[in-house]
Amino acid sequence: MSSNATQASLRDIKGPLLELTDVRTHFSTPRGLVRAVDGVSFTLERGKALGIVGESGSGKTILSRSIMGLLPTRGTIRSGSVKFAGQEVGNRSRKEMRHIWGKEMAMIFQDPMTSLNPLMKVGAQIAEPLRIHLGMSKADAKATALSLLQSVRIPEADRRLDQYPHELSGGMRQRVMIAIAMACGPTALFADEPTTALDVTVQAQILDLLGEQRRDRNMSLVLVTHDLGVVAGHTDEIAVMYGGKLVEKAPTRRLFAAMKMPYTEGLLASIPKLEDPSHSRLNVIAGRPPDLVNPPKGCRFAPRCPYASERCHDEEPPLIPTADDPSHSYACWYPVGSPEYLDARSRLDAQKVGVS
Amino acid sequence: MSDVAVLPTAPAASSDLAPAPRRRRLPKVGVLFAIVFLGTLVFLAWFGDYLPFMRGADTKIRVAGKLQSRYKQGPGNLAWWGSDANGFDVFSRCIFYAKNTLTIGVSATAIGLFFGSLLGILAGYYRGWVDRVVSIIVDSLLSIPALVLAVMVVRRLDDIKVDISALDWLTRKWQIIFTLSILAVAPLARIVRAQTMALREREFVTAARSLGSTNTRILVREILPNLVPAMVTVAATGLGILIAAEGALAFLGLGLDQSWGFMIEANRRRLDEAWWATVFPCLMLFLTVLSFNLIGDRLARRFDIREAAV
Repeated sequence: MSSNATQASLRDIKGPLLELTDVRTHFSTPRGLVRAVDGVSFTLERGKALGIVGESGSGKTILSRSIMGLLPTRGTIRSGSVKFAGQEVGNRSRKEMRHIWGKEMAMIFQDPMTSLNPLMKVGAQIAEPLRIHLGMSKADAKATALSLLQSVRIPEADRRLDQYPHELSGGMRQRVMIAIAMACGPTALFADEPTTALDVTVQAQILDLLGEQRRDRNMSLVLVTHDLGVVAGHTDEIAVMYGGKLVEKAPTRRLFAAMKMPYTEGLLASIPKLEDPSHSRLNVIAGRPPDLVNPPKGCRFAPRCPYASERCHDEEPPLIPTADDPSHSYACWYPVGSPEYLDARSRLDAQKVGVS
Repeated sequence: MSDVAVLPTAPAASSDLAPAPRRRRLPKVGVLFAIVFLGTLVFLAWFGDYLPFMRGADTKIRVAGKLQSRYKQGPGNLAWWGSDANGFDVFSRCIFYAKNTLTIGVSATAIGLFFGSLLGILAGYYRGWVDRVVSIIVDSLLSIPALVLAVMVVRRLDDIKVDISALDWLTRKWQIIFTLSILAVAPLARIVRAQTMALREREFVTAARSLGSTNTRILVREILPNLVPAMVTVAATGLGILIAAEGALAFLGLGLDQSWGFMIEANRRRLDEAWWATVFPCLMLFLTVLSFNLIGDRLARRFDIREAAV
């Protein structure tokens, strides 16, 4: 049915693969309405990688699950439009989405320890989507599973097929997860903090593997993370989320060269640098993420922003493109580099000197 | 508790350099006993007919042609656990009657496990109105005292059987099995529901869904296998409880005549003169229930299932 139509149209699709317009996901809880995702719009081209960056609680995970439609049905209020390959999928039921899940869109989760079924052999778990979507026989699925395991560079792949998840290391399990997600050759892959639970040395390998799979398969990748360092080398574009909204979005290179949001700046400053003297104090963004039941009235970052002025607390800044580059947009009244920002900055520096 | 941990629980507050004291694993005395006891019992009950030292359950003891009725034989060489009012061998009866007790217990548990798990898994996975309906059924079943419910059901089945001739196959044994399985449904449904609710939130279930698995597939392939430890654990403990309930029904005259409960009831008035005819069946019942509880306890700790105390 519709899955075939999707399949056919995807091969020669024109326009963006993913198009979000004013996506909102709210949860009704006893405490009130939690505005986890509050009006997010962006587009993603086929084959490109987008990084979604933000702190815990900024709504980045919920956003990625909203796009896929993988949210609990009860107490969830969704609105806005999610277009996948030109088709509206935002309002589809789970039953309708099932043909898209695994086949067109796949997801990799944060913790490979918990996202694999502990009681099923690795081979069977990779074969699962093949059997569901492609109706493969057991033997075919097994052969495909083997080649998938080899493509994610698991050593001794044929032996792994008959092992259980607990027999594999964390990095290996994440490779298995990637193999499962890749099984049906999806056009979009959502990776939700794919390296957070892994050893630092393994992180780079997994990210490289994801990039490689993306290029080989001309697949779009949405990389959700809290770590700017992770997205730096592995994405084409970066979207920064704060309090359920996009606050800045730019091509990766441009973002690092000319960030506009003080929040992005804070995120970047909070990464410890190798050239810092040892025992230097870590930079943090003071305060806590906003309460998504009662978000601040003006700019949601204002209460924590060192440069905030009165206007920031009263009026919410819209997401607007920069003058010189339409692909770079930001939501801030006094972006990094503006005269007001520089004023506030020099004032702050003076204070610091005064204190010490 | 089986192997009560006698390990000192005091924290090792010594320096980090000292090697951690090796945790000595206590032998699992309790479970070992349970397995040996149940194994022996099953072996004797099913193969006793072929063993030279076992008298038949319906063979009367005679000494020089004289019937040893009216509890003439105390425990001794001739009859290990003495003879009863009609001159039957108490030991043989204790062993052979285990057949009934064990088959009733196992069958009732199996039926209860099937329906209890079905209800629990559906309620825990789908929630909503399914959960509400199941919870009402389960709570009602649990609110009626088990023995009262059992007596009611057995009597009712008796009446129904008289009216409907198609139910001739419903012997007393099957009546008891059905009755006991009703008792088993509620606690099993409850624990399976709780476990399912925990499992459905697990990441691997979301992962399976994100790959396009149907609900049925998720239930059968992802959730059911992970429920097995909980089901086995509760089934073991429940088996003990059902066996005790079977004894109670027999004691009340609603069970089988070939049963420990009936032996206890038949001989208890002569406890003063012939303690053996009452005490030994009691002991068998006690040890059997204890064995299943020990196994259940062990499994509960092994799989970390706290709600197993049903």
